[in-house]
Amino acid sequence: MTWLSALAPWQWAVMAAVPLAIFLLYFLKLKRQPLEVPSTLLWRQAVEDMRVNSLWQKLRRNLLLLLQLLFVAALMLAALRPGWSGSMGSGKRYIFLIDHSASMSATDVAGSRLEEAKRLAIQRIDSLQRGDVAMVVAFSDRADVKQGFTQDTRRLRSAVESIQPTQRTTQVSEALRAASGLANPGRVSFGGVNDVQVAEAMPATVILLSDGAFPAVPDVPLDYLTVDYTPVGRDEVANAAILSFSIDRNPEHPEEIEAYARLGAFGPMADSRTISLYRNDQLLDAATVTLSPEEESGVRFGLDDVEEGILKLQIDGEDALAADNTAYAALRPVRRTNLLLVSRGNNALETALATDSVAKLAQVRVESPNFLDGEEYRALLEAGEFDLAIFDQCVPKEVPPCNTLWFGIQPPGDGWNLQEPQGPLLVLDWDREHPMMQYLELGSIRIVEGQPLVPPESATTLLQSDLGPLIAVAPRGPFQDAVVGFPLIDHRQSPPTVNTDWLIKRSFPLFLFSSVEFLGGGVSLSHARSVPPGESIALTMNRKYPKLEIVAPDGKRIQQDRGDQQSIVFSQTERIGPYEVFAEGQTQPLERFTVNLFSQKESSLKPQRELSLGEETIPEAVSTLWGRRELWRPLLLLALALLALEWFVFNRRIWVG
Amino acid sequence: MGDSELVEGRFQQLLPAELMGKLERMELVSRKIFRGRMKGERRSPRKGQSVEFADFRNYTPGDDLRFIDWNLYARLDRLYLKLFLEEEDLHFFGLIDNSLSMSFGQPSKLEAAKRLMAALGYIGLCRGDRIVVQGHSQASRPAKAHRSRASLPQLLDQIDRIQPEATPSFREAVQSFCIRNPGRGIVVWVTDLMDKSGYESAMRLLMARRMDLYVIHLLSPEELQPQATGDLRLTDCEDGDQREVSITPGLLARYQERLGAFLEGAKNFCQRRTISYLPARSDLAVDRLVNDYLRQRGLVR
Repeated sequence: MTWLSALAPWQWAVMAAVPLAIFLLYFLKLKRQPLEVPSTLLWRQAVEDMRVNSLWQKLRRNLLLLLQLLFVAALMLAALRPGWSGSMGSGKRYIFLIDHSASMSATDVAGSRLEEAKRLAIQRIDSLQRGDVAMVVAFSDRADVKQGFTQDTRRLRSAVESIQPTQRTTQVSEALRAASGLANPGRVSFGGVNDVQVAEAMPATVILLSDGAFPAVPDVPLDYLTVDYTPVGRDEVANAAILSFSIDRNPEHPEEIEAYARLGAFGPMADSRTISLYRNDQLLDAATVTLSPEEESGVRFGLDDVEEGILKLQIDGEDALAADNTAYAALRPVRRTNLLLVSRGNNALETALATDSVAKLAQVRVESPNFLDGEEYRALLEAGEFDLAIFDQCVPKEVPPCNTLWFGIQPPGDGWNLQEPQGPLLVLDWDREHPMMQYLELGSIRIVEGQPLVPPESATTLLQSDLGPLIAVAPRGPFQDAVVGFPLIDHRQSPPTVNTDWLIKRSFPLFLFSSVEFLGGGVSLSHARSVPPGESIALTMNRKYPKLEIVAPDGKRIQQDRGDQQSIVFSQTERIGPYEVFAEGQTQPLERFTVNLFSQKESSLKPQRELSLGEETIPEAVSTLWGRRELWRPLLLLALALLALEWFVFNRRIWVG
Repeated sequence: MGDSELVEGRFQQLLPAELMGKLERMELVSRKIFRGRMKGERRSPRKGQSVEFADFRNYTPGDDLRFIDWNLYARLDRLYLKLFLEEEDLHFFGLIDNSLSMSFGQPSKLEAAKRLMAALGYIGLCRGDRIVVQGHSQASRPAKAHRSRASLPQLLDQIDRIQPEATPSFREAVQSFCIRNPGRGIVVWVTDLMDKSGYESAMRLLMARRMDLYVIHLLSPEELQPQATGDLRLTDCEDGDQREVSITPGLLARYQERLGAFLEGAKNFCQRRTISYLPARSDLAVDRLVNDYLRQRGLVR
């Protein structure tokens, strides 16, 4: 059981002071004037007489007693919690759905929309009748059950109080589905014939406190749910928002980077606003944009000499929602892959690896098979120098500790097996989804001879021929091995002869580029990815670094252990801003990404007066509901005032007994 | 010799000279006739040698021949003894309650009691009565008796020495007093009757000795009309008993009721036992007390 504190610490202190004060007053009362008398004989008798006889005779005139009775009556009334008649029934079930998405942080109502919603919810919780049960769910793009069904209004109140604003977008469907699951009986269906209801229907009222900034939810079965929707927020709210922000290279001048932003104006806003662009918190450029209501406008900045860093775009000035006034874009850190090509001389391969695109990604080192026996090779491997090694019909003594790509040769070890050379081979199918095979058209290539693969069990077949798999990729610990089961140029014959016409097809350099990108972990795009708040992002990182640290915009460092996974999935993207990924112990970031709101729904602050949920249209609740006003507080105050008056009277002896 | 000369300055307070003149003409009256010890100025149940004829009686051998009425013998030829009334002294006992509660009042109750006792003692001395005055605290010691006007200073000194102090309960004090003073006579008990263990047993003891008992119930004005106000913690000066009271008109009325009941109770108790009960205020002047009050009650004449 958790202790729910209904009061703040200072309030507890005041509470504790009350008995102390009474105690002190009691001593004050005892401070009587001492008087010596000949004998207390008669006094004693007189006092006893008073006690015994005066009770009923004095009742009429005893002001003190009257005050005490009033005090106790007020206390008792307060304890009974009287109130105005509530407009809700009793023994009902309520589900409080409270929106805490980004748009609820808007400050068009006192505090914020979320504070207003919480206030309304607490009012409503206070007006719950004995026997009513309620639960509290906070929702944004996901639902978070803050408190399960309970009668304990203190728990409900503290659950509502604990709801914090988020910067997420809004999806009400999950919350509604959760509510619906609690209210509507489960069904067991056997082929549509025997549709059996397995539980009692539990009708419930959903009290939806939101600004309605979510798309229509067509497929929620409401059935036993009654939705009571109260929009929060004012209609006429001015808000300027950045709806998108991206950077890219100018195709005509590759050294120049362009930043684009799309701005939206919502509500009664006709204003020109200054847009500032910062790089690593230094002002780079600014522009003035005239915003007209319900229209979008664009702004473009050209940037020179910007290799990497974080760009921040900001609409200056204040409006109702702050979260959409700032947007971030990141230029990814420059990092090139170290690539080792071991070949007896393969022009086609070398040419394909010498393209500009590959050059941006990787630094290629070409060596002959003799290099594999040298000391330098071993030293470089131990230093983890290579990200990717390509072996063209030559084989080292053991598989190097990096990603590998093999052409026409069986890797050492037990994992891979190649069948006897056969040919010709016909390409049947290939995996178009795999990053290495994207955008490839391989149906027309011809292969003279090849060795169909017997890959390890965990392998993914990328290219299937009529005689078996020809290209496959399989994980090896933290690394990946890709094997192409046919040579490009057959070195067994002299002079070497071309084994396939793939070399002259456009798909060959593309395959190599994709392989370098996928296996090498290189960075080709300068523009880092951006996700909405709360959405997870998959980061493909070089496998050299088993432990990663992600620095959030608020400076929080999150450790992430990648294990054997190719990519890590990072989900703690609650805050808007730039995130940087560091390898353990390194000062330069490996990767960057940004979290931006970029949501027209969230930025458009006009509350929906009508909701479309399931097959119903839910109008705004006629707000007769918040009728109940608690009386016990004023009563308690009255009791305290009476107590004070009583003390005053007692000490002054105003009364005439 | 003027008696006032016998009274030293320090006793002026106790027995003012102008009062003495009035007192000289008075005498203590006992409703009972007691046998005294010495020849005095009072009629005694005994027949003796005074000038006042009482009776005749047959001569029996051994009678004093001096009292034979020879004239009668001559006429009747029979021997008769002529009896005269014997005049004897009266035993007067003054018992002063000198408990701490008697020290209250302006003048204090004890002071008033002492003045009263001095006045009564002086009356007695003037008539040759045997006067014994004691405080409660001295009751366990034998007291000196005074008989003549010459011993007035000693009497006054003895009275003057009585000071408020812790005393035994009424019953114990009276018991000691009865044991130490075996004779019969008038007992004047000046007290405030404020004893939590009650005064009844003490009075019964005195009545059992067939004393002619006068109880002078002395109360101070503070006790009769308390002027206290506010929230008080009352402390009993004798036993330290504490009572917390808030003085209210209601409480004061209740107190008056209690006081009335207390006085009435004492009065009834005394009446039923032929005890003379005289309530008195401590601020009443002694001459008024003696002249009007005690004379009305028949203690003095």
